[in-house]
Amino acid sequence: MKGNKILIALLIVIAVGALIYVNINRSEGQEAINLMTWGGDFIPREIIDQFTEETGIKVNYKEVTSNEDMQSLLEANPDQYDLAVVTDYMVDILRQNGLLENLDKSKLPNIKNINPVYQGNYYDENNEYSIPYAISTSFLLVNPEAVAALGAQPITSYKDLWQSELKNSIVLIDWSVEIIGLVLKSLGYEYNETDPVKVSEAKERLFALKDNIVRFETNTPEDSLVNGEAVVGFMYSNQAVKGQAANNKLQPVFPEEGYPIYIDCWIMSKEAPNKDNAYQFLNFIMQPEIAAKIADITKFTTPNKAAEPYLPEDYRNNPMLNLPDEVAANTSFYIGVENVLEEYEHIYSEFKLR
Amino acid sequence: MKTLKRNVLAIPFLIWFGLLVGIPLVYVVVLSFMSRDHLGNVVFRFTLENYQKVFDPIYLRVFANSFLLALLTGFITLLIGYPVAYITSQLEPKKRNLAIALFMLPFWISSLLRTYGWVILLGNTGLINNVLLALKIIDKPIPMMYKFSTTLIGTVYMLIPFMIVAIYNSVDKLDRSLLEASYDLGASKVKTFFKIVLPLTIPGIAGGFTLVFTPALGLYFISDLLGGGQTIFLGNLINTLVNRGRNRPLAAAFSVGMILLVTLVISIYGRITKDKGEGLFQ
Repeated sequence: MKGNKILIALLIVIAVGALIYVNINRSEGQEAINLMTWGGDFIPREIIDQFTEETGIKVNYKEVTSNEDMQSLLEANPDQYDLAVVTDYMVDILRQNGLLENLDKSKLPNIKNINPVYQGNYYDENNEYSIPYAISTSFLLVNPEAVAALGAQPITSYKDLWQSELKNSIVLIDWSVEIIGLVLKSLGYEYNETDPVKVSEAKERLFALKDNIVRFETNTPEDSLVNGEAVVGFMYSNQAVKGQAANNKLQPVFPEEGYPIYIDCWIMSKEAPNKDNAYQFLNFIMQPEIAAKIADITKFTTPNKAAEPYLPEDYRNNPMLNLPDEVAANTSFYIGVENVLEEYEHIYSEFKLR
Repeated sequence: MKTLKRNVLAIPFLIWFGLLVGIPLVYVVVLSFMSRDHLGNVVFRFTLENYQKVFDPIYLRVFANSFLLALLTGFITLLIGYPVAYITSQLEPKKRNLAIALFMLPFWISSLLRTYGWVILLGNTGLINNVLLALKIIDKPIPMMYKFSTTLIGTVYMLIPFMIVAIYNSVDKLDRSLLEASYDLGASKVKTFFKIVLPLTIPGIAGGFTLVFTPALGLYFISDLLGGGQTIFLGNLINTLVNRGRNRPLAAAFSVGMILLVTLVISIYGRITKDKGEGLFQ
């Protein structure tokens, strides 16, 4: 009896194994592309399905949680991935490490739809390796009523965050470069300052902010404004959009000193196994209607100029998503993080220990 | 010949151990002496600079902060876990098995989700505050989140099963006749506990402490979620250095420091259990 049971179990294992094997082999024969980027519908499922339906090309989507993870994966297996979406600074690193394909524009006619304002930036001056996909910014999301209730002045700039009335009322992204950058801007300096005098001035100013911060949170800072534990937060635009959708009393404030911008870009591996399919995919998502749909689902600003007429009304009227020119003009990148990181991280650790 | 036969059985384990623990460990140690270029790529050039940075006064305070959290977690889990383990061991077998199954039950759920459970419980709009507000016991929410103590609650909650099981094993093995002898000689229950039970279960306590202390040093997501990032622990620092800082050599040097801290605790544990002839490593 006992022997029988073991035999049956063994047969089941073999049968399941065979099934998996057959399935793997079947998908190998099919046309496919392998892409990797952030999860959470960053490239909407619905768009991918539409692409597969129209072209018959299967899309394997690997979800990762950081630019650095993508770098490691790409360095370890450059011949396994076709496409990835990485943030601006990572484009710069990957191209300098020689991992990126110089894109053949003749295979990408739809690249004409991309707004030149978002091209030719520091990470790819000649538009050789990257195509902008999703733009985000950081700014302040404020609950004006709650700010007034605390007896504080209305918030229009970073400087206003230092008001003593705002004790335990601010939520911030938890990242040294970003927070020290905010302090530098409030002092009228630029991001990633290396001048020791300016840095030590910023350090002192940063320490003075500690008592006002209720929470450091990178993934869901908007929750703190929605549930009322904070009255002002410094966060990414897609988070601010979500926060406002949950509580319409929350208002974006674009600090007059300026704010950061991040451009997530498509890049192709130099050793991509399915380059032609990958070009087809890139061209597909740069169609105006598709780009508009992606922008609406992901709540990121689209670099696709031609997509504008297809954007829904509420998206077009939202300054957090459809950046007005004067807002876009006041943004800057974090350039040269590697020069300041160790110093900033050290200051930030001291700040946290206070 | 006999010992050889016994050792043959250990070979698969040793290979497994060597591959999955030994090699990564050597990698971390080697990495900690390497440099990196301006793009964050690891460069194979020997340097002691990483260790110099680890011994910076600010970073030493991060070590102290983590050590304090792990130590407090150990003591609190012991304080709560000991009575629980003791009472459990006194139960009749059926109830005892049920109790042990219940201790293990939380492991079936993702630890991240369970941590979010505490947010739902302790938040300003959380369960506790809502109930107290509704009962008009308080008129504005008590801030319970984003403190050192909130992080401590999280680590204690996450790790207490290890303490309970370690002590339970120790208490369960206790020779009951010793207790009877103690009663027969006129010792009270309290005296028996402190003179007989406690000394005999010290290996279990030390084992539980080691099992709790070690992971408490590295659970960085708890301090992120419950502590609101208000202070900094070793786990946070290493995570930032690897992910955003692209400075793996320095992260490796911090990890070696953390490993040394753990080794210290384990060697103390080894010393405590050496003469007792029981413990996790025998």
